[in-house]
Amino acid sequence: MMPPPILVSAACVFILLLSGCNDAPGYPKTSAEVLRPQDQLSFDILYRQNCSACHGADGQNGAAIDLGNPEYQALVDDRSLRKWISGGMPGTQMPAFAISMGGTLTDSQIDAIVLGMRNTWSQRAVLGGRNAPPYAQDQKGDALRGKEQYNTDCASCHRASKQQVTSPDYLALVSDQALRSIIIAGRPDIGHPDWRGDKPGSPLSAQDVTDIVAYLGSSRSATPGQPYRRDR
Amino acid sequence: MHRIKEIYKWLEARLQLEGPLKDAALHPVPRNTASWWYVFGSAAFTLLFLQIVTGILLALVYVPSAGEAWSSLNVLNHQLELGWFLRAMHGWGSNFMVAVVLVHMAQVFMFGSYKYPRELTWVLGVFLLLMTLGMAFTGQVLRFDQDAYWGLGIGASITSRIPIVGGSLVHLLLGGPIIAGATLSRFFALHVFVVPGSMLLFASLHVWMVLKLGINEWPMPGRIVRRSTYLQEYHDLTHKEGAPFVPVAFWKDVIFSGAVIAAVAVCAFVFGPYGPSGQPDPNIVQTVPKPDFFFLWIYAALAYLPPSMETPFILIAPVIGIAILLGLPFYASEGEKSWYRRPVAVIVLCTVAISWGVLTHLATFTPWSPHMNAWSGDPVPPRYLHDATPLVRQGAVVFQSKQCRNCHAVGGVGGQRGPTLDSIATRMTEDQMIRQVLQGGGNMPAYGKNLPPPEVTALVTFLETLHPPNEPPAVDGSQKEVQTSQIVASSGSKK
Ligand code: HEC
Ligand code: HEC
Repeated sequence: MMPPPILVSAACVFILLLSGCNDAPGYPKTSAEVLRPQDQLSFDILYRQNCSACHGADGQNGAAIDLGNPEYQALVDDRSLRKWISGGMPGTQMPAFAISMGGTLTDSQIDAIVLGMRNTWSQRAVLGGRNAPPYAQDQKGDALRGKEQYNTDCASCHRASKQQVTSPDYLALVSDQALRSIIIAGRPDIGHPDWRGDKPGSPLSAQDVTDIVAYLGSSRSATPGQPYRRDR
Repeated sequence: MHRIKEIYKWLEARLQLEGPLKDAALHPVPRNTASWWYVFGSAAFTLLFLQIVTGILLALVYVPSAGEAWSSLNVLNHQLELGWFLRAMHGWGSNFMVAVVLVHMAQVFMFGSYKYPRELTWVLGVFLLLMTLGMAFTGQVLRFDQDAYWGLGIGASITSRIPIVGGSLVHLLLGGPIIAGATLSRFFALHVFVVPGSMLLFASLHVWMVLKLGINEWPMPGRIVRRSTYLQEYHDLTHKEGAPFVPVAFWKDVIFSGAVIAAVAVCAFVFGPYGPSGQPDPNIVQTVPKPDFFFLWIYAALAYLPPSMETPFILIAPVIGIAILLGLPFYASEGEKSWYRRPVAVIVLCTVAISWGVLTHLATFTPWSPHMNAWSGDPVPPRYLHDATPLVRQGAVVFQSKQCRNCHAVGGVGGQRGPTLDSIATRMTEDQMIRQVLQGGGNMPAYGKNLPPPEVTALVTFLETLHPPNEPPAVDGSQKEVQTSQIVASSGSKK
């Protein structure tokens, strides 16, 4: 056995070493100090817990629109963001998150998410100084013109029966605004071009976008989702 | 030096401890018990002292009041130099202590040590085990976080099921009808005075008997314990071929105890203290409380029991279990000690150990309870979406928004209440999936009223894509038949 003096001094050295390092692997993380769920204001945590399932881990490659697309962030205004997050997006599967609407997030948490998205994903001048069509529809759409426009601008890629954007089953689950956001801002994560990229050199005008959305809207069916459709 | 000797002599003349201590240290033990198998008891005793020392230090800071307990632990974690390490030592010390006590018990059982004349030693040991578990439970309560709060709630509701006296017992346990300040004071008193006090007393008696009756000899097949001859045989064994306890056997105890303390320190250093997790506020429902490690198996067992079996299991099984443990040395006080000749004992021990391990393992990932945040917090694996069609992508959204994910994992993430769906398309045809979604069945709710047709269509279209690349989805033979006959019919009508 070690003589006691050596043992004691070894213990002292050990303790000294320990007190030096608050970065020991076992040192409790400050963030592990658990907040009440409603006091949580960290964007990363709020986004991961509430949004990442549908909108993707980093705001992309998810099932629903890629909120992390800088063009989308440049396009959309804070009021709309807050509106969709609090109350859900009618006509889509986007749920309402505000406590007043049956969700779990407080108003300050929703503000924290909006601010966090801006800080994390916004980039300056992504719309290239060009006048992008506005986020919200501001004119009446013409479905007939939209159909032509669709055939020239979209069909090149969406002709294949696999890309069922005109399928009533798909259209029953997306709102006009959701379609509009995707057409203007694009979805770079899955290879869908923005409003300038459909036909390089001739970007879509605000009217074009509105008309295409009107055309897609007119393709909705009163009885979507019937099984055994041949065109699926 | 001379001075010290004088003082020692003065003390010894009055205390007269030298003789008994020398006797205890030098008493002969059977030579082959100087084995690494005989070190667990002393390690448990060492850990008891570690717990007492670290516990006293913690008690200097801890505030046993419902309002302040949680924050005083956070003060320990973050404001006091090495407070976190102290908490970690006490927490891991507790884990090691339960583990070492269990191993000690298993070893003693395997070696037949409970047989004549050591029945009472075993009985005290059973009580020591129960008290160790009691310390682990009351200690978890003192942590007074969400886990503690709900653990206590469950403990109280288990107690309340005892017929007739249940209600009053709960009142006694909680110090009132609800979990409040009085509850914490009560558990503080239990954890700091009552249980440790009795433990010290019982442990001292336990060790006293080990010294007086001698350590159990190494079991040999065929060396049968008989009341009439055993004492003489043991005497011969120790005095003819025995060796003094110190140092022949003692050094292994010292080394092992040292190693255990070092292991506690390493775990404390690497893994840190337990919690505290969220505040113990019943208004916070976004919580998944879990009992500490050594109670996980109960958690799993209760989750798997049918509700009608719960009360009998909770109230009768522990009584039977403890009765068996206490009765064992009286039922089998003579006979073979060697495990070579005790197949039933070996099988029992293995069964208990395996069941315990399986239940504990299950409880670490609770496959029986849905993951309530999976629908919004677990991303659909991008590889399922990348080459997908818009409809499939919408189906994935429906899969999340209707919270299918809470019970069904994909890509290894999500609830495990229902089957994993990564290759569901190879197991079910489209029609079968539609039926399952609409009508439910096999413990799954029916979603017919909550899913309009396009959502079902999108959802099933998504599920249809979930199959390994080299394994085609299942198809219904008759549907193909119908399709070809329709094609034949339509091409016929064109003519
Ligand atoms: C259950 C799935 C789901 C969850 C969870 C979810 N969303 Fe959505 N969200 C959708 C869907 C579906 C849409 C419709 C747009 C689409 O599909 O492209 C949408 C649309 C939106 C839009 C509007 C897009 C537009 O067109 O302008 C915003 C903003 C948004 N979500 C933010 C959030 C935030 C922030 C969270 C987390 C608090 C969240 N969503 C959680 C499914 C979800
Ligand atoms: C350069 C080729 C290309 C052009 C042009 C194009 N798209 Fe797409 N689009 C894609 C790809 C690739 C996807 C992603 C794969 C898929 O969903 O099929 C996509 C997806 C979509 C989606 C579904 C997005 C989602 O979240 O699921 C919509 C809606 C859509 N396109 C509409 C349009 C419209 C309207 C136009 C015409 C203005 C258009 N696209 C032009 C390539 C194109």
